[in-house]
Amino acid sequence: MVDAATAAAVAPVAAPLLDAAGLKALGAAIAIAGTGIASGWAEKDIGSAAIGAMAENEALFGKGLILTVIPETIVIFGLVVALLINSA
Amino acid sequence: MRLLERLRGKKPSQSDKKKKGNSNYAYAVTRVRAMKSKLLPKESYPRLLNMGIDEITRFIQESEYKNDVDELAMKYSGGDLAEHALNRNLALTYDKLGRITSGELNYLITAYLKRYEIWNIKTLLRGKLYNASVEDLLEFLIAAGQFTYTFLSELASKATYQEIVEALRKTEYYPVLQQFDGTNLAHIENELDKVYYSNLFEAIGEPKSKDRKLIAKFVKLEVDVKNLSNLFRLKRAGVEQSDEIMPLMIEGGLELKPEKLAPLPYDDFVNSLQKTQYWDAISSFIDQETASLTALEGRLIRYYLESATTYSHASPISIVPVMDYIIHKNNEVNNLRIIFRGKEAGLDDNLIKDQLVVI
Repeated sequence: MVDAATAAAVAPVAAPLLDAAGLKALGAAIAIAGTGIASGWAEKDIGSAAIGAMAENEALFGKGLILTVIPETIVIFGLVVALLINSA
Repeated sequence: MRLLERLRGKKPSQSDKKKKGNSNYAYAVTRVRAMKSKLLPKESYPRLLNMGIDEITRFIQESEYKNDVDELAMKYSGGDLAEHALNRNLALTYDKLGRITSGELNYLITAYLKRYEIWNIKTLLRGKLYNASVEDLLEFLIAAGQFTYTFLSELASKATYQEIVEALRKTEYYPVLQQFDGTNLAHIENELDKVYYSNLFEAIGEPKSKDRKLIAKFVKLEVDVKNLSNLFRLKRAGVEQSDEIMPLMIEGGLELKPEKLAPLPYDDFVNSLQKTQYWDAISSFIDQETASLTALEGRLIRYYLESATTYSHASPISIVPVMDYIIHKNNEVNNLRIIFRGKEAGLDDNLIKDQLVVI
């Protein structure tokens, strides 16, 4: 009996896999990952179109660059949400 | 892999057609649209009409044709220089389209541009039949299809048409060319056109997606325009027998049914066109006595070009804008050629102007 009680006291208590902090971190990760993939996907076509236009007319570099990074806002929203989750 | 298949003349397998991601439409279409914006604006044609040949050469030397004029200026001069420069530019532009596209898009464009192979074969056969010199022949060859300029020059330097036909033994046109005996050139030319269109329709396949449907419609419209111009020519010449007209018609049009239109006399033929979409474009040019056939054909081509632009707006990220560019570029080269040759022959400016299709 004594032995068993001592053993129970000494054995480390297994922490639950997903506590509140873990869920928050996971939520933030999903927010970043999802929006990251989404902006990458959106930028793929715009980027290749911009390159196509630039290959013909170099003056379009500025416009192409701006249009290409517009979907970047999506990942910024994701970043904001992730920070809000973490600070809440 | 695709290149190998193309060299072997194989059609892409079903799985290739599904690989849409390969085509990279966004890149190709934007690039082509940028190229289209560099075509000569319509305001420049009245100016060109007021210039002499040397001035026009200088004008196009300052435009997109600079490299071509520069490179060929050592060898040719005057109208010949312009002709060669225009052909070279057209060939290089279409070659570029082949290079900047991939996948399904590239496959369809290659199928579409085979019309220049036919054009070249026709030119070579005609030239040999009428004993044109090699230099004259070279002037009219456009190395835009799968045949390279070197291959075409070799063909041009052959002594007889039989040798040319033999040299084309491995191409898909050989079965038709075999029937050529030196007297039936018109028949062979029609047959080549038919082979081209049936191959093209086969390449497009059964259209399911929206852009495939549009490209099918686009080619069908072209067939209609060709058939309609031919019908008008024949009718005005008084040909009304179906068995004379039908061999000249291309199958697969959009709205017109040549088999129904062929036997009609001119007035009935014109009346039956009233229900078609072409009526608005041609209605003021149909009077047999006064209106010229050239003006009518010009209107039809114009209608075709405008429809292509409309289609390309309906389906912006697809093959249609590329097709639209191909025909507009061709039209620009044709216009410039008309101006050059017209000036060279000393034609009246108004006469030249009537021949132009300006959009």
